[in-house]
Amino acid sequence: MTGTIFLQIFLFIDVFIIGGLAVIALQHAVAHFKQPKPLANDAQVPIVADPLPQTVKENLVHASQTQFQAVLNQAAGSLQQDLKTTSDNINNLVLRLASEIVSNELERYREELSKLHNQAVGDLSGIKQQMVAHETELKAKVAQEYEAEKQRLIKQIDTKLADAVSSFLLETLKHNVDLGSQSTYLIDTLEEHKAEFAEEVTVED
Amino acid sequence: MKIDLNDWVSSPQELKSLLMGVRSYAHWYAQTTVKMKVTKDMSQTAPAVSQAVTDLLNTWFSQTPPSQTGLDELLALLQKFESTAPRITITLAAAAPESLKKQLTNWCRQNIDPNLLVDYRFSSTILGGMVIRHRSHVYDWSFKRQIMANRANFPEVLRRV
Repeated sequence: MTGTIFLQIFLFIDVFIIGGLAVIALQHAVAHFKQPKPLANDAQVPIVADPLPQTVKENLVHASQTQFQAVLNQAAGSLQQDLKTTSDNINNLVLRLASEIVSNELERYREELSKLHNQAVGDLSGIKQQMVAHETELKAKVAQEYEAEKQRLIKQIDTKLADAVSSFLLETLKHNVDLGSQSTYLIDTLEEHKAEFAEEVTVED
Repeated sequence: MKIDLNDWVSSPQELKSLLMGVRSYAHWYAQTTVKMKVTKDMSQTAPAVSQAVTDLLNTWFSQTPPSQTGLDELLALLQKFESTAPRITITLAAAAPESLKKQLTNWCRQNIDPNLLVDYRFSSTILGGMVIRHRSHVYDWSFKRQIMANRANFPEVLRRV
């Protein structure tokens, strides 16, 4: 922004200088080509005898014209040279400013791009963290459900197995009872529960 | 006359059998006594009673001659014993042999109550052990109950095998 204002000011100054030079050149050109007005009262001017011969006059006029033409050419050349230099400077300056502007814009663009990139990386990192957290949560949940299902199946298998073994024992032992071999066990059982059994019988009787 | 009925009966069935035998004999004795007074017929045959009843009557009248009063006293003693003696029911997995019955009855009378009457039953569904019932209270010490009560431990036991 500052560079643009500086360029505008510089251009304005250059235009002003060029305008001044153009006005001076125009005044010289007008003065050279304009015929002097004849005096209104020639009759009143005293006729002075020309001291210079006509040839000298012509030579002087011719020399003056030549010298004026040379000065004019020199001024025009100088002006053209100045204009060319100014134009080159302006071009260089414009080029430099344009380069600077482009460079600044590119730098700004790069910074914006970097900022967006960082923001995108941050967002992506956050998303990645959320995904990791969600994945961890899902894994934990799945593991918990898996463990619960496993325990349920183990319990179910244990129950079925216990039922099967119980049924097998019931069916098997039903036909293989030997009370003779149980007499010791029976007496031991009575001895084991003697206290509560005796209390039950004696209290109620 | 004092006798210990515990020597004669160990179960309610035996007591009932004794009671019925003695009652039958007392009934026959009352009729025979009246008949003898009327007909002087001494050839009245005594009813057939069990050996246990015969032994009981012989023991009861070992020191005094048989009489209606003595029989009535014996009947009263048996009825009183029947109404007062505690009784339990022991259920075994099979029909118990006499030796086992005697062994269990002796233990109960020595450790629980000397007048205890023990009724024996069997049920193959209990598999082993015994179930004792006294009035409304049941002690289930059967194999079946133990197996069913500990069936949750089967998987644990099987894992250790």
